[in-house]
Amino acid sequence: MMQQQPYTGQIYQPTQTYTPTSAQSFYGSNFEDEPPLLEELGINFDHIWQKTLTVLHPLKVADGSIMNETDLAGPMVFCLAFGATLLLAGKIQFGYVYGISAIGCLGMFCLLNLMSMTGVSFGCVASVLGYCLLPMILLSTFAIVFSLQGMMGIILTAGIIGWCSFSASKIFISALAMEGQQLLVAYPCALLYGVFALISIF
Amino acid sequence: MSAPGAAAAGGGRSGTAADWGGFEDNMQGGGSAVIDMENMDDTSGSSFEDMGEMHQRMKEEEEEEEGEAGTAEEEDGEFLGMKGLRGQLGRQVADQMWQVGKRQASRAFSLYANIDILRPYFDVEPVQVRARLLESMIPVKMINFPQKIAGELYGPLMLVFTLVAILLHGMKTSDTIIREGTLMGTAIGTCFGYWLGVSSFIYFLAYLCNAQITMVQMLSLLGYGLFGHCITLFVTYNIHFHSLFYICWLGVGGLSTLRMVAVLVSRTVGHTQRLILCGTLAALHMLFLLYLHFAYHKVVEGILDTLEGPNMPPFQRVARDIPVVSNAVLNTTAKAIALTL
Repeated sequence: MMQQQPYTGQIYQPTQTYTPTSAQSFYGSNFEDEPPLLEELGINFDHIWQKTLTVLHPLKVADGSIMNETDLAGPMVFCLAFGATLLLAGKIQFGYVYGISAIGCLGMFCLLNLMSMTGVSFGCVASVLGYCLLPMILLSTFAIVFSLQGMMGIILTAGIIGWCSFSASKIFISALAMEGQQLLVAYPCALLYGVFALISIF
Repeated sequence: MSAPGAAAAGGGRSGTAADWGGFEDNMQGGGSAVIDMENMDDTSGSSFEDMGEMHQRMKEEEEEEEGEAGTAEEEDGEFLGMKGLRGQLGRQVADQMWQVGKRQASRAFSLYANIDILRPYFDVEPVQVRARLLESMIPVKMINFPQKIAGELYGPLMLVFTLVAILLHGMKTSDTIIREGTLMGTAIGTCFGYWLGVSSFIYFLAYLCNAQITMVQMLSLLGYGLFGHCITLFVTYNIHFHSLFYICWLGVGGLSTLRMVAVLVSRTVGHTQRLILCGTLAALHMLFLLYLHFAYHKVVEGILDTLEGPNMPPFQRVARDIPVVSNAVLNTTAKAIALTL
């Protein structure tokens, strides 16, 4: 007579039914329990304003932790504003802005991952580069009224490119703890913002 | 385990006894096999075989439904249950497929797009980069023992991008129109194509000529050699004098070429090999600078010629005075021209 071993496998257990994700569990909760729309979308106006001030004030010491949350709402607004100011000057170049910012962010992402000890996420890079585009909007606003092809235009363009890349490199080295390499990070940023400046000038 | 289970199921379910009849006959024919039914799990309605059966019945129901389209309005309770089950199964399958796909994609990405192998080549300080930039213009004197080449990729990559930016600036100021493609694409293609292509070609020649140089070192050497090109083009795209360009071409371009040639000579043995390798590199490097100047500069020349002559009168048609010659000469000339045509 065969001794039956107790079966400890799972073959006779019913398969797990599909459990809905937590987002769907809100269907049962009240309307008052839902968080406000902006909080749900992740748009925090106070943080956006803080980051904008950090960019605009080039000599202010940057706090490394402000870039921990990747916020793409601010950079999106800045890119659209840049395209809008170019439109006011008669240049319909939203496609160029989108393409160059996408490729530039990808390039900076690869470079910063290779150069830093800790890695960096793509959202963080896109967020920082987007915020530091703000002075370029000033340049393109200036280009609506005055032509940038004279000597004053060249000096102004050089100053604005320097301002943008200095801010971006300052935030990057404080977030990634890369002391002593600010110039090495600032130069590729300067090249990227130089291409944006080329779009503004010509 | 499966034989007792099948026998027990055959014994337990009288409705499906006809399917399991074969096993019953075998068991009765063989020796006595007393099966304790209490130790068996209750598998009715939840076993793997039942799921398979239900799935099979679902498929058959689906085929029947497709056949009779008119009676689709009627839904009995059992059919609704089947639909609910199919929805759950479908969601599970989709979920599993997503997980497997994601895992495979991340594995492939980490295998092929692993840029961490390039990490050591980007570990530099600003002081080092500045020193190497200045050194790239100074030819070495000692060619008897191999010169050190820094295997670093940050400086060369930044120099190639700078060259792209200078080319773009030059094309924009001279209003160059590229018909097939974009300005940015042309500039990037030219510069990266030169850096990667000529490096690979010289590395191949170095392999043939038995020179001791690795691919990264060659990329680094040629990249730093582009520093001279950047300076020359930056100066001559803004100050337009032909003679200034030729002086810069020979002076600045020549210095950077001499440096690269000296380093390669120090790493190659044999006169013929040295000649082949260094001659090719020197020719390609100097000709590239010449090409960059003339391909993206000609339009500027044209504009300058028309702009720099405010006192020039507009184009006038003036009748030329033909000197008086004999008819014979004229006829012979006409016949000669007719014969050649």
